[in-house]
Amino acid sequence: MQTAFSREQLAQPEIAEADGILKTCVHYGFCTGTCPTYVLFRDENDSPRGRIDLIRAMLEKGGAPAPRTVHHLDRCLSCLSCMTTCAVKVDYVHLIDIARSYIEKNFRRPLPDRMLRGLLAKTLPYPRRFAAALQLGRLAQPLAGFMPGRLRDLVGMAKARPVKMELLAPNVYLAQGERLMRVALLAGCAQQALDRNINAATIRILQRHGCDVIVADGAGCCGALPLHMGYERQARTLAAANVEAWSRLLDQGLDAVVVNASGCGTTVKDYGHLLGDENAKRIGAMTRDITEILAQLGLRVTGDMKPYRVAYHDACSLQHGQHVTEQPRRLLKTAGFTVLDVPEKHFCCGSAGTYNLLQPAIANALGQRKAAHVGSVDPDMIAAGNLGCMVQIGRFAETPIVHTVELLDWASGGPMPEALQGRTLRAPPPVAELSEQPAIMPSDAPPSGGAGIW
Amino acid sequence: MAAENLEAFFSDTGKSLGTEGVNRSEETIRRYGENTMACGDVMPAGVVYPASTADVQAIVRAANTHGIPLYPVSTGYNIGLGSRAAARAGQVVVDLGYRMNRILEIDEKLAFAVVEPGVSYQALYDELVRRGNKLMLDVTSGPPQGGMIGNALDKGAGYTPYFDHFGFSCGLEIVLGNGEILRTGDGALQSDTLANWHTSKYSFGPILDGLFAQSNYGIVTRMGVWLLPRPPMVRSFHFAFPEDSDLEEVIELCRPMKMSNFVPTLFRVANDLYLCGSEGESAEYHASKGKKSISDDGRRALREKHGLGAWNVSGAFYGPSAAALEPMIQRVRDHFGQSGKAKYIDHADAGGVGPLQVAINAFSGIPSLGELGLLKWRPGGGNLWFLPGTPMDGKIANEFQRICRGIYEEHGMDYMVMNVCGPRFARGLHVMTFNREDAEERARADACYRKMSEEVARRGVYVGRAPIQYHDFHMQQAMPVYRDACNNVKTALDPNGVIAPGRYGIG
Repeated sequence: MQTAFSREQLAQPEIAEADGILKTCVHYGFCTGTCPTYVLFRDENDSPRGRIDLIRAMLEKGGAPAPRTVHHLDRCLSCLSCMTTCAVKVDYVHLIDIARSYIEKNFRRPLPDRMLRGLLAKTLPYPRRFAAALQLGRLAQPLAGFMPGRLRDLVGMAKARPVKMELLAPNVYLAQGERLMRVALLAGCAQQALDRNINAATIRILQRHGCDVIVADGAGCCGALPLHMGYERQARTLAAANVEAWSRLLDQGLDAVVVNASGCGTTVKDYGHLLGDENAKRIGAMTRDITEILAQLGLRVTGDMKPYRVAYHDACSLQHGQHVTEQPRRLLKTAGFTVLDVPEKHFCCGSAGTYNLLQPAIANALGQRKAAHVGSVDPDMIAAGNLGCMVQIGRFAETPIVHTVELLDWASGGPMPEALQGRTLRAPPPVAELSEQPAIMPSDAPPSGGAGIW
Repeated sequence: MAAENLEAFFSDTGKSLGTEGVNRSEETIRRYGENTMACGDVMPAGVVYPASTADVQAIVRAANTHGIPLYPVSTGYNIGLGSRAAARAGQVVVDLGYRMNRILEIDEKLAFAVVEPGVSYQALYDELVRRGNKLMLDVTSGPPQGGMIGNALDKGAGYTPYFDHFGFSCGLEIVLGNGEILRTGDGALQSDTLANWHTSKYSFGPILDGLFAQSNYGIVTRMGVWLLPRPPMVRSFHFAFPEDSDLEEVIELCRPMKMSNFVPTLFRVANDLYLCGSEGESAEYHASKGKKSISDDGRRALREKHGLGAWNVSGAFYGPSAAALEPMIQRVRDHFGQSGKAKYIDHADAGGVGPLQVAINAFSGIPSLGELGLLKWRPGGGNLWFLPGTPMDGKIANEFQRICRGIYEEHGMDYMVMNVCGPRFARGLHVMTFNREDAEERARADACYRKMSEEVARRGVYVGRAPIQYHDFHMQQAMPVYRDACNNVKTALDPNGVIAPGRYGIG
């Protein structure tokens, strides 16, 4: 794509970066077929290449963006499905982040929007504030019917999932047996307020597999939530605090930063780009999703797990942002589960950070679509590697949903995940029927039935 | 085409389809006109989105009433052959992919699926996996979001025993140019119960299905697709040959393996650039400003980097277990080993080589994105596919290599080819990537395409599929009686010429 920035514009680093990215887009259009909003609306401005063109025009023109441009860019989920599909690998993620930041600096949103976004940016990254906001939301439930649309949606979501808060204090959880690794755990922000079980399962399984697990003093929200709302400065501040906190651990030896919320993992892995310094690059390079670390360590299981049917949901941040798709499946199979692929697995569930709060109608359509696909494989449970997806899919699916690490922890000696307790799980089929799976197939191929003739 | 006719057409269509069924936004028109060819963009007059066969009928009838030319696309990912661009500017694109994307039926006992035009390879694959992965569909190595009907009707193909997508389709539903619905095969029976519509093509009367491949006589709204019982084990094998001239021997070695059907898949015989080109950009493009082909040293360096040869053969066996397939693999190794030049790459090692993993996925009926990287070889987004074929005779294939490689080099293009080999014929997938934003390079790509077409035609070889900008050009290469026959059929089935006039040089 040709661009027409002035020399003065190109002197600004973010414009220069955008220019480089824009020029790589050649409008093949493969991205359109896997973009959730284009598939829903068939509007070119709701497709990645359409948005790329809108961004180009917005940045070239300068000044306040047109409301129509903001409307279409706001509807982008940042699911990055387009980046997986793109033949020429346009760096869309950094382009849309530049655009979001530009909008926040140059566009005055209507008051209700400003209030909602400000509220989210000031609460979500801070677990105590977020927990308090959730409590308020619950108390306000009886009044929901009298509230304006977006606020009503927000209050409605507060009841979507019971709060199981546990804020982890700085601590070192020692390895059981021989220490193989020393890792820092990103305890997270909203996740700590919503579901203590994920961190608890992560720490247990890492200890069991020979890891000292450090919750570092000074580490908090990764910055992803404000970054994707265009609050780049706030995101940098949060990211810098994490880099500083984890860098302090390097002297005593640190093998990895472990993240169990893939939306955060994608951002932490990209700290080098966000902050641009060597420490940030180093931290980004040593960051691993929990399933990457467990695959590296080699999962040890008790061996008595029944082959329950697990529908594995690929969080966009894990599959498109980090390209981690095989490890979770392989680990779950090793743990003894029957792993089921979900149709349209490349598609976003509509969670997308704060998207389901800011764009509830589209998010609901995508959530219902995802839940229908998940249900169609007849699972006993759903596993996902990102709390946002768990909350979103849980709003629409009947089947219990758990974090992948909770299942792996259970299979390696931990407790049954809380979401499954008290539920009657179906007796899985006899093992003989399951042993017909092929020994060698392309790595992401699901098992074969063979139609009885082979 | 008068402006008031166009307005009347969209008004009628809007009444039939609802506002969601018509799109005339400036952005939509611009994007639907974009393509990767050397000719530039071809802007339509608008886009309509039918949701049913009845909607398609309503569109075709309105087109007849108001004299509006239509241009149907299924999913529109025919990259390198036209994308979603119409045959001629001003046609109305009928985009069947948005709202006609249902899998209508899957018969697991008789192993067939029935799909609408918007159903992609990925969508059917996902559904088959959901049902337990008992059946396998043949896929292309192109975009997973590509449409199955569009590919079959354009005579597209894959690599498994069911590679011939039109040949393994069975039973069409078509809205003819006059707005009437035709069912082919056993579907022609005047009955509400059609037991064999998607199981038999050899029913009473002429086989009309073929009229709707690479033509413009109607809009296909439903098609049966035959499926293969999925084998529990797929075991691929690969051989790398060091020299360009080894193609002759490769073809001679492949032919008996296919003639006997000992190897069930087609052979992918890909040159170095076809495989390595999907892994990154040309390292020499900027130095020559795109005016020269990559050097022999450059190609050699790529081969060494990826552990591949000048020509690379891939195939696969299907069976119940690795042990059961091992003797077959050994026999193929012995066969290709006769040459003394072939380097064997086994299934496990091939899985670690990106371009060979693409082959494994294709043999396994798994849609994948890997080969799309070829389009990044040169900047600027230009892409044409030149698709002739050669008899499975090594000397002839090598002669075609010599001619086409020479023409590529004469025009400063990079020779990227895969011969997909059956028993008697090999489709020659010639990729041309070029900088579409550079007028001079674009003109060279166009000249290169035309010259190759003329040179192979001089030796008795026609193209198979073709970029839409060359449809008239290729039709002019046909014998006059063939052209007349095609146009006479057009007059019979689409008397007002409303369906894609100009497509495949007809109408």
